[in-house]
Amino acid sequence: MKRILKYFRIRSKMVTTLVKERVQYPVRLFADSVTVIIRCGILLLLYSYVFKLNHGVINGTTFLFTSWSILFYFLFATTQLKYISRKMMEDVQSGGLEMILTKPISYISYRGWSQFGFGLYSFIVAIAFSVPALWLTVGIPPTMHLAIFIPTLIMTTLLGGMIYVFIYSLVGLCAFWVEDINPIFWIIDKSVMILGGSYLPIALFPSFLYKLAMYSPFGASLFVTHTMYPSWEGEWHRMIIIQVVWIIILGAALYAVYQLAKKKVSVNGG
Amino acid sequence: MFKEIKFALYAIKKNIQSSAELRTSFMMNIVGMMINNSAFIILWVFFVKSVGVIGGWTAADIIGLQGFAALSYGVIFSVAVGIRKLPDYVASGSFDRFMLSPKNLLMRVATSAFNASSAGDVIFGAICIIVYGFLIHATTVQVLFAIALIILAVMVFFAIALIANSVSFFITDASGVVTGGLFELFLTPSLFHGGAFQGVMRFIFTFIIPALLIGAVPVEAIKNISVHQLIVTTVMAFVWLFISIKFFYKAVKRYESSNFMTFGV
Repeated sequence: MKRILKYFRIRSKMVTTLVKERVQYPVRLFADSVTVIIRCGILLLLYSYVFKLNHGVINGTTFLFTSWSILFYFLFATTQLKYISRKMMEDVQSGGLEMILTKPISYISYRGWSQFGFGLYSFIVAIAFSVPALWLTVGIPPTMHLAIFIPTLIMTTLLGGMIYVFIYSLVGLCAFWVEDINPIFWIIDKSVMILGGSYLPIALFPSFLYKLAMYSPFGASLFVTHTMYPSWEGEWHRMIIIQVVWIIILGAALYAVYQLAKKKVSVNGG
Repeated sequence: MFKEIKFALYAIKKNIQSSAELRTSFMMNIVGMMINNSAFIILWVFFVKSVGVIGGWTAADIIGLQGFAALSYGVIFSVAVGIRKLPDYVASGSFDRFMLSPKNLLMRVATSAFNASSAGDVIFGAICIIVYGFLIHATTVQVLFAIALIILAVMVFFAIALIANSVSFFITDASGVVTGGLFELFLTPSLFHGGAFQGVMRFIFTFIIPALLIGAVPVEAIKNISVHQLIVTTVMAFVWLFISIKFFYKAVKRYESSNFMTFGV
């Protein structure tokens, strides 16, 4: 019990420190928000026009569902969890890794929690502004009135976040072998972007792409974009199970790769 | 002027040679970026398949659009990536060395670095435009249009990148968060399906934020052999280039050197 409390005390301290740091730089928050507004806002305007042209329905779905799906994707992106790989690469390249390895906390855990703390403030602010804005402009889908909506939304977001961190941590660990991981990062990132339902919401996917999104870790990390569709009510159990399975697989892979990486580590600079 | 261009070409050559020293990383960056860019084509082609033809835009036009956008991005951010580093140069004080150089200030800053991954954008963009040419069975006039429009798109891209990054002279922005956000406002719409921009949106993203001038408008000009769109793009490209250079030199007057000791050739 004592160990568990200590575990969470250290991590919560890290998160709160980073949130406080982010609060001190309102310009960064502004830039993050502007980026989300630009990407998401323009996309929503385009889709509203496209749906109008198609008499309000495309592939059996309406703009109401699509807009929320797009918003959820972009809100998830504000967590900036994917930049854990770049941070890992910087640690290896700068030699800063040496400092972190001497801390009484696992390197992966340290990076994961600090990245969570880094993006948390932007994520909360983005939710606070964008959710009411979309609610007022387009309304909310009936699925969001269901009793299971909020609990399953939170659950799938947390599980998806874990998968997301595991995927990008695996990419980051590649820096122990190849110092420039950017090409790997781009490829993985675009796989997540496509299968997560960013510019093309999942309701508009062709069937083979939908299956790929369902059963690949890239799609599973962003099941949050499925939550507003009517099918969520009957499918959420299956999706949560898929996420848990991917967490176990990726968690084991991450552990194994990290053990190998520790043997491979060579510290540059200083 | 000729001497300045000769120096710029020399600087670019040296930057490329320096970058290519790490051969594996250099090649991985180029190939990685090409795969990365393919994602946008996949996305928008699926979009066209799901949604149907909008504003006369087909899957072939999407390839053309991505080609133009990638090529303009690649050309500027490979050989002239120094522009993107302006916020860092200003914040760290390393801008001093450019001011002390007897060469043209803008050209010196722009060609101060090279980015290998953007070379991947150049190759990807060129391939896409060639494929687009085949898909639309381009005539000689369309090929000439394409060549002219590539140059104009690059000019627009350069102008907006310069304006966005010159803001760092007014706001200290070492990590480029503000300039990055401003630039995103221009770049993001340029990668979107051109046919979906109609009415007010089209006006805004053509004349106020010229995002459509680096992809959507050139594609439509080539497809319809539209002299009108070619003229509009030409006028806008020169206007934006003029504004950006004026803005840059005005912004430079705001520069205050930091105390960091930085040297470079």
